[in-house]
Amino acid sequence: MSASASKRRGPRPASERLRRILVMLPWIMERGEVPLAEVAARFELPESDVLADLERVAMCGLPPYEPGDLVDLYVDEGVVYAGVPRIFTRPLRLTTPEAFALLAAGRAALQLPGADTAGALARALGKLEAALGAIGLDIELARPANADAVAAAVDARAQLTMTYWSANRDEMTERVINPLGVFADRGHWYVVADDVGAAGERTFRIDRIESVARTGATFEPRSVATPVAAGWFAGGDLPQARLLVESGGEWIAERYPMVSVTERSDGGYELVTNVTSEQWLARLLLRSGGRAVVVEPEQWRSLGSDVASRILARYRPTN
Amino acid sequence: MADTFERITNLLALLLETRQPLSLAEISDRLIGQYPAAEVSRRTAFERDKALLRAEGIPIEQTVLGGDRAGQTVYSIDRQRYELGDLGLDEAERQALHFAVAAVRTGTEWGTEAIWKLGADDGGRRPVELEASLPAIAALPVLFQAASERSVVRFRYRGSDDERALRPYSLLSRNGVWYVVGFDERRGEKRTFRADRIEGEVRAGPPGAFERPVDFDPRTAFPADPKTMVVGDPGPQTALVAIDAVRASQAARELGATAVVSHSDDGSIVVEVPCSNLQSFRHWVLGWLEYAEVLEPAEVRADLVAWLTDLASGSAT
Repeated sequence: MSASASKRRGPRPASERLRRILVMLPWIMERGEVPLAEVAARFELPESDVLADLERVAMCGLPPYEPGDLVDLYVDEGVVYAGVPRIFTRPLRLTTPEAFALLAAGRAALQLPGADTAGALARALGKLEAALGAIGLDIELARPANADAVAAAVDARAQLTMTYWSANRDEMTERVINPLGVFADRGHWYVVADDVGAAGERTFRIDRIESVARTGATFEPRSVATPVAAGWFAGGDLPQARLLVESGGEWIAERYPMVSVTERSDGGYELVTNVTSEQWLARLLLRSGGRAVVVEPEQWRSLGSDVASRILARYRPTN
Repeated sequence: MADTFERITNLLALLLETRQPLSLAEISDRLIGQYPAAEVSRRTAFERDKALLRAEGIPIEQTVLGGDRAGQTVYSIDRQRYELGDLGLDEAERQALHFAVAAVRTGTEWGTEAIWKLGADDGGRRPVELEASLPAIAALPVLFQAASERSVVRFRYRGSDDERALRPYSLLSRNGVWYVVGFDERRGEKRTFRADRIEGEVRAGPPGAFERPVDFDPRTAFPADPKTMVVGDPGPQTALVAIDAVRASQAARELGATAVVSHSDDGSIVVEVPCSNLQSFRHWVLGWLEYAEVLEPAEVRADLVAWLTDLASGSAT
């Protein structure tokens, strides 16, 4: 989970402090006493902010603001103690975005390998939809054939040997990997793994795994940060290309990860993207049907038409 | 004077606990010295606080009185509408939701905020090794609420200036892309829109504005394979495509063995694939670069040749 809140500095807006305190108080009251550090970790705030807000809210309550009218709470020696729960004992109802995010995450999680479609999550979603009067969201994340085997290997810390089609080099390769995590992004499934032969962490597309088997060895797991969408295959040493896309080609910026997208006054876009391989760029250009053209680097300016001519050769009778 | 955080907290407590709706004068009186004494600045401060609480989703109700207090506005909060009701979730179910929110990125903090409200713990599970991401799109919560409450939504869709009026029946996500399916009132037929192509604000009308057809099934409303999604006039349904030996096993794995209609001695195969959505089909077939060739139908083959010819001629300059 993000720790962004703890990184930000400067005064926090009153609305943000209130929002956080309204979820914090019922949770603390239910427990009676909680270490300050635990509160801070759970609600993703620095301890100093939690302390300041709790001390402040302990001075709030109802008129005439006698001790018995206030939020009954104090902090001592790094532990938060809650007394009689008087006010703010229940959290605020879910907002529409929160309800949506919860149901969407739940339905998507049911599509992950190994999910129990009749288990606690499915029951929870049914109850939430009924209680909130919400439509059922219909989410599908289609998985390639080997996704479940790879996910099971992650879970079992089982080393794998696989035949993998490398799009960059356009060849089949044999690899031994220690699979660390599996994720889905933009319609594709990936495995983050230590590539044992190449000594390094790599991300592989699961639909390009031709065959996979366990080697019998196990490995020591380590936690990996799943690459963030859009930036995830931004390798530092990848070449970049600058493209001009005319109006009507906006989908290119949506479909492919871009380093930057700048709208132009003529309604078109200037895009900068990392190029994982020439084939990758060629596919993008072919699919754009001429709506995207390479500005830089020069070596790729005629790539789209060159590849188009190469494919066309198949369709023309040879004589 | 108390700081804003303290004042809005006290205001919230007062409006939650009061039995009678209160006027600003009464509120100011009870919040002893927390609002400015001068009437204009008091009203300004109160309006700002009220807007701030409402922006947090707090349902402050206001009523204009009649009788001997005619014209006076009084304020209150309906506890039923304020509080998270009992959702009937047991501990295992709350933990499962916690796990789901940790595993599925939505690019927002909404899910985490929801988990905090539910008070769910992670149940000591180890960190997530399985993840999926769903794109964050500003229009989604409004569409979700409108579909749930059956409100007509109005919005502008990319590439067109006219406003759409849609009865949203369902929200679907297919492989990372969100769609809203519903009845387009102006066009008088069922339509599917990509949520990320909705431009500007989505405005929802009053709830209960339509009935979802009883036979509506989101699963059939939207094909799982985009190559089968018909856009415009339906054309040929399937095409035969030759795939070279070097890509044959990959194609067979992707499409399933049933799609392979023939094998050649050189290792190449011929596959039958849906092509009713020509654009999606073209996308797919171009992904194979020069290792694939559309064999038939002739019109689909001609479409691809025309597409490539345009591209190839652009090169010469």
